[in-house]
Amino acid sequence: MRTMASLIALMVATPAAAQTLAVTHAEAWTMEGAEPVRDATIVIENGRIVSVTAAGGVPPGATVIDAGGKPVTPGLVNGATQIGLVEVSGSPDTRDDASTDERTPGYDPSRALNGNSTLVSLARADGVTRALIYPSPSRHAPTSGEPVFARLRDGVDILDRGGIALYAVIGGGAWERLGARAQQWAALRKLLGEAKRGTPPPAETDRKKDKRRSGGPGGPRGGPDDTIHDVVAGKLPLAIQTHRESDIRQAAALASDLGIKVIIVGGTEAWRAADMLAAAKIAVVLDPQVNLPLNFDQLGARRDNAAILTRAGVSIAIGQAGGAIHANYNAGMGLREGAGIAVANGLPYIEALRAVTVNPLAIWGRGGGTLAPGADADLVVWDGDPLEPSTNARSVIIEGRQVSNWSRQDMLAERYKDVR
Amino acid sequence: MAKAMLFGSIAAGALALAGPAGAQRAAPLPWKEDPFPSRYHAPPAQDMLLKGATILDGAGGRIDDGDVLIRGGKIAMVGKGLANPGVREVDARGGWVTPGVIDVHSHDGTFVLPLTAIDREASDVSETSAPNVADTWIETAVNAQDMGFDRALSAGVTTIQILPGSTPIFAGRSVVVKPVRAPTVWGMKATGNVQGFKMACGENPKSWGADDDNEGPTSRQGVISYMRQAFLDAQRYKRAVEQARAGTGAMPPRDLKLEALAGILAGDIRVNLHCYRAGDIAAVLSIAKEFGFRIGAVHHATEAYKIPGLLRDAGTCAAVWADWWGFKMEAQDAVRAEAPMLERAGVCVMMHSDSAADGQRLNIAAAKAAAAGQRIGIDIPPERMIKWTTSNPARLLGMEKRIGTLAPGYQADVVLWSGNPFSIYSKADLVLIDGAVVRDRSRPPGEPVSDFEIGRAGAGQ
Repeated sequence: MRTMASLIALMVATPAAAQTLAVTHAEAWTMEGAEPVRDATIVIENGRIVSVTAAGGVPPGATVIDAGGKPVTPGLVNGATQIGLVEVSGSPDTRDDASTDERTPGYDPSRALNGNSTLVSLARADGVTRALIYPSPSRHAPTSGEPVFARLRDGVDILDRGGIALYAVIGGGAWERLGARAQQWAALRKLLGEAKRGTPPPAETDRKKDKRRSGGPGGPRGGPDDTIHDVVAGKLPLAIQTHRESDIRQAAALASDLGIKVIIVGGTEAWRAADMLAAAKIAVVLDPQVNLPLNFDQLGARRDNAAILTRAGVSIAIGQAGGAIHANYNAGMGLREGAGIAVANGLPYIEALRAVTVNPLAIWGRGGGTLAPGADADLVVWDGDPLEPSTNARSVIIEGRQVSNWSRQDMLAERYKDVR
Repeated sequence: MAKAMLFGSIAAGALALAGPAGAQRAAPLPWKEDPFPSRYHAPPAQDMLLKGATILDGAGGRIDDGDVLIRGGKIAMVGKGLANPGVREVDARGGWVTPGVIDVHSHDGTFVLPLTAIDREASDVSETSAPNVADTWIETAVNAQDMGFDRALSAGVTTIQILPGSTPIFAGRSVVVKPVRAPTVWGMKATGNVQGFKMACGENPKSWGADDDNEGPTSRQGVISYMRQAFLDAQRYKRAVEQARAGTGAMPPRDLKLEALAGILAGDIRVNLHCYRAGDIAAVLSIAKEFGFRIGAVHHATEAYKIPGLLRDAGTCAAVWADWWGFKMEAQDAVRAEAPMLERAGVCVMMHSDSAADGQRLNIAAAKAAAAGQRIGIDIPPERMIKWTTSNPARLLGMEKRIGTLAPGYQADVVLWSGNPFSIYSKADLVLIDGAVVRDRSRPPGEPVSDFEIGRAGAGQ
């Protein structure tokens, strides 16, 4: 048995500079069709996929990774997690997930994102290459702030794009300062309604210059007010974390009344409104592990939520997978396990792969997530079915470079493995 | 293992009659009394022959294309090509057969789902009026209508130990249940196990002590010294009881806390110790040595992989997660590969859940742990992995001669899986408890099993 340690040793010896890579003998799940390309050669140059060809040749000088017939998928994308914002969840001084500002509806996690977190390196080792990072409820109910997209390249800077959406939370007991949920809906409608009625966007001089915060759907960005304006202009989505059927239908009514894009996060009872969500083109980011209600909003929890929604034509992604522990501490394993559970409960395999690759990128407005020529070269070589928790990621490639997939846990295990 | 046997195999409820000493004395040992006896009756058993499955017997054996014969609620035979003596025959080809899954760490029925402000304010998981609530019996809080039991059963779990929480240092007695439908927990309560007990060290009890208005130690050293003082007091009480029974002294007044701890010292009550850090585990193992008792298992035990020899020498098991880590300081050094590392070091190890969600996938937890083991060159085959969810937890409960193994004479707690039990795609097709079919996936219950779910929109999947 070849151990991961020896694979890692090989990997560390590889120069990290931009290079030509060829993954050979891959079962390549390109996400362009429902079936993989067998015995594929995947050629990667300058951070992009060049080609995926059955029994294709290897360009001269390319670094070769032999997949040995095992599956290769696009890098996995977690549709909702808080890695990079939370270190030791029980200790508030190691968390940067929420604002305590009572006057501002915004919180921009990009200024807190920490690529050096041990949670990030473990997620990467489990095959996650990108993730939507969302803030926790602020003190400005019912908003949390503005989720960001992360790309889990090596090093501290994992920001891919800020200002992805406006994030709100609605539910029973969700807010101390806003009790009943009708109040929560009223507050959200007021916030959006005021923006819709034309409070002017902030002056250009107030806007930030960071490139990764510019050029997005809303142009240059300057914080929560900009985000809200982009939401009411239909340029950015409003993500509403909510579970109960009545709230999911309220969210759809809000989208329709204001002409805005809405994404449901959580959506435990979304299956009860599947046809309505499909008609309204409202996507759902959900956790297939949920089959027990943590609260009264989740009484309808069932394992085939993902399958029912997909059958009805709703676009789904997997996020917050595994709840309190796994959603952050196992942002990769929880994602794969969730996708596997969805398959075990009726979701077609290819749809489960989409729910952890192309769908979250499409839902959050980023695009990509395939192995099509020209696509971002984020991919993972597995030693088995990626949706089986017993499978390990053998090589993780981000932006065309092999990154470390040796986590702190692996190092500790390696250190103590011969202790008797 | 021989050491372990000394503690095992005697039913807590029947102890007044168990030994010669007990039989001759009028007064039973106070810690052996069970004021809340079981009213569980095994449902009607069906004799059957499972044919042609991959069998993992729970004790380390594997038979491909094997058969299991179940008669009178017990395992009658396990082997290849068994003749059918005229019982129902189940075509199990393509399926896998294992003992029912045993979860030794659950809060089902006390960590209420759905959780409301009522239980957030005053939870039944732990009695938290004092650091020593050794007098409590968690079964007096368990709501038998918790749908967690039903989900566990559907996932092939046939035995569950419900423990009190880890806020108190001495948290009270556990209860072992079968997750069958019953109006009260006593209709679920197993018999034949050793009485369990929960203790806790580290961050949870010290944090509670450090909160305003609480009495109790505020540091690790305080927690450890609190334990020693309590065992000293219990030692005195136990001697007084023994002297009274020998006719050389007066019986001390009953004291529910002291007698529970005296039961631990006597080896009649088995400790389940919540501990994370290696130093915490070592300190409590030292106390056990000082006072002459054995700790059944360290639960969570995130750093047990650093000190396998201490656990092995003490005859103490480790009940571990595959992948809970990081959420507090004492969980920083958790490694997914812990179970295979401990297995290779000769420690009795098992998976545990602490959660109604993860309790449905203990075999998947084992699969994750084994995969992490492969990353550092440790390969554990399925027939040994299955011990982590069957025979090893049975040993902790003192039920190693009754459940957790497929061998003649064992209770027929059996699962027929649709495939490899370590695959995320496999399901429990047939679940048997005491030889009775309690779940048949081809014939799902027509209505929710728990009373809670009846008549609520959408509930019950």
